[in-house]
Amino acid sequence: MIDVARLRRLLLLALLGCASPALAYPDRNLDIIVPFSAGGGNDVFIRALQPALERELGTHLVVRNLAGGGGAVGLTHVARLPADGYTLAVVSDGLLTQVAMGNVDFVPEDFDFVAKILEEPYLLAVSRDSPYPDLATMIEDARGGKRIKIGVSGVGSSAYLTAGAIGDALGIDPILIPFDGGTETVSAVMGGHIDAVVLGGAELRSALSSQRVRALATSYPERSASLPEVATFIEQGIDYQTSVFRGLAAPKGLEDSHRARLVEALQRATEDAGFHTTIGHLGTDLAPLYGEELDEFVLTLAERMNQQAEQLTQ
Amino acid sequence: MIENYLNGLSMISDWGVLLAIAAGTLLGVVIGALPGLTSAMAVALLLPLTFGMPAVMGVGMLLGVLCGAGAGGAIPSILLNIPGSPASVATSLDGFPMARNGEAGRALGIAIVASFVGGIVSAILLSMLAPPIAEFALRFGPAEYFALSVFGLVIIASVASQSMIKGLIAGLLGLFAATVGMDPITGVARFTFGELSLLTGISLLPALIGLFAVSQLIKDAIDYANVGSRHDAPIDALQIRTARPRWRDTFSHWRALLSGVGVGSVIGPVPGAGASIASLISYDQAKRWSKTPERFGSGNPEGVVATESSNNAMIGGSLIPTLALGVPGEAATAVLLGGLLIQGITPGPALFADPSGTIYGIFLAYLVANIFMLLVMWLGIRYFVRILAVPRKLLLATVTTFCFIGVYGVAGDIFDIWLMLGFGVLGYFLNRYGFGTAPLVLGLILGPIAEANLRRGLLIFEGDWSPFLTRPISATFLCLAILLLTLTLWQNLRSRA
Repeated sequence: MIDVARLRRLLLLALLGCASPALAYPDRNLDIIVPFSAGGGNDVFIRALQPALERELGTHLVVRNLAGGGGAVGLTHVARLPADGYTLAVVSDGLLTQVAMGNVDFVPEDFDFVAKILEEPYLLAVSRDSPYPDLATMIEDARGGKRIKIGVSGVGSSAYLTAGAIGDALGIDPILIPFDGGTETVSAVMGGHIDAVVLGGAELRSALSSQRVRALATSYPERSASLPEVATFIEQGIDYQTSVFRGLAAPKGLEDSHRARLVEALQRATEDAGFHTTIGHLGTDLAPLYGEELDEFVLTLAERMNQQAEQLTQ
Repeated sequence: MIENYLNGLSMISDWGVLLAIAAGTLLGVVIGALPGLTSAMAVALLLPLTFGMPAVMGVGMLLGVLCGAGAGGAIPSILLNIPGSPASVATSLDGFPMARNGEAGRALGIAIVASFVGGIVSAILLSMLAPPIAEFALRFGPAEYFALSVFGLVIIASVASQSMIKGLIAGLLGLFAATVGMDPITGVARFTFGELSLLTGISLLPALIGLFAVSQLIKDAIDYANVGSRHDAPIDALQIRTARPRWRDTFSHWRALLSGVGVGSVIGPVPGAGASIASLISYDQAKRWSKTPERFGSGNPEGVVATESSNNAMIGGSLIPTLALGVPGEAATAVLLGGLLIQGITPGPALFADPSGTIYGIFLAYLVANIFMLLVMWLGIRYFVRILAVPRKLLLATVTTFCFIGVYGVAGDIFDIWLMLGFGVLGYFLNRYGFGTAPLVLGLILGPIAEANLRRGLLIFEGDWSPFLTRPISATFLCLAILLLTLTLWQNLRSRA
């Protein structure tokens, strides 16, 4: 299939390129490395953003899925690349988790974080047939001696660390049951094999809207527009907040002018209506963050992940 | 009810929609026929294309890919002894010997009809019984998965072709390979030797392509070097003329057809059970119920009927929990679920009651995809058979290329290529010395399911073993496993005596 509009744009660009000798960044295709296989959360995010971002940058994005090692292979590859501004990685908090768990050679400082685009909450959810109507009853039962079985996706994953942290915040000692992926975890709680799950909002979206699963609390600091009926931990008197994030990062040493150009394009691309519809369907929220604020955000999150991982591996 | 289907019919009676389904099906057949390229990958690559399409059109195209790939996998399995997709591994066990006996056209004809029947039955089951079946599938917890995988592992004893002890050795090799990677419960890295790519374990696709495709390519290349071009068997005109769908032939093996459709429909809806074990289990069942079990493995059409009907029945089956609960049955439907969500279609009971009737459009799109699959295969069968007329050396080179592209394409990880080659060499020697590769695959696929679920179960039951024996579904599978094992051992003893 030939995309005529795209072809025309390319021709036009080629003509422009002949006219002006010194072309501004970017003057060729950008490589985007997704450290997971096609169809996952990070992959769908960048592919949904791709058309708008290509338009704003005036170049093509070549999205490559470099999966393996639960994201470790792709990120290790990117961390070693030169910082010429032509390779970006789609990153999420999984990067920080892997560093915290000590399975990889890179550190967060090997990357220049360009943007945080999406956020989704972690939800503590139970089956619709669960005996716990709300968070308070669950806590009460747990403090009475019952060990709550909480399912999470993947051992040593972000959800795993988060579930441990939530247990601490609630003052209970749950048994964490790692499953291979989000869907296995959801079906286990639906079938009543475990008491609760801690999962990202997108993974729970279809189960929530079919009302097979009820969310007891969201990890957002405030209630989100997409899940207005779910109360936060803070509202329920539990001092806990966090979120899953997805964004873009470059190998360390990105030039300031390149970063400014990317941020400008991203700011405009994320206003695209088609992109909004897609992320709305997926159960994620637009929460852009750039520059120093982003660096601070990443630093805080990394520190917390390290603490949680330390507690876990003791 | 009827109104719903008429409404659905109006959704798909549109040239654009039909064209999208047909294109998806054609692509699926091609992807399925090329070793290394999987339907999960094809669905993921087509996903961005569906963003701009109406819901039924986009989903219909993706269903076409699944459906086509289910049938296309049989082509190289039968003609070249190289499974096109993991789900058609068992097809080559009898399909290739048939082709060797000059019955390539017949084997393909049977495979087409069996695939079609499996697909249609599963489409009907899907549209009529999806919600109750999905509820049943939810009752599979860790104990049930463990029992199911034990049941699957017992099959090693019967797919071990020549000697029981060699089959068991191969099976144990598979179980050992399955322990590589992060421990599923505690996260400790096992046997990774610092290799990042091994953190998530041995990737299944490179291992399967290595064991089944590369090992066969090595064998062919060695044969070719010894015999030279005389090895090219001339294909006679009669073979091409008689290559057509075999309706009566297929239905005359109704026992195998029934067991294939039955096993596919039962295993398909259980999330995570895996397409490749559905066809191996149904092959095993067909062998047990057959009147001529001794002919399995030497070109028995029943083997082809059982595996091909089951791997297409499995597709409809795996759509059941995907649509009714939002829990996909295997890799390709997991990507499909992403496609549904992007289209704004939220799976679950609400979808079945949704006044827009989109779900009925999806049912009919799947039904139509099966019909297109039959047409594509019907029109293509004479050309498929001609593959045998292609000089062996060209064929070897082409298939090798596709193996490399496919394996690299999935994750873009060069380590997977080495893994594929390593398993290729292993597979060559396993076949050469009569150990067989099917037992190893069963160990490799079922090992992680058995281990993780046993330990998960013990966590949930707080160290108590008894629920594994007292939960009804789990107990049933374990009893069946013991029964099958005793039967196999007894038959083995008797045949030796």
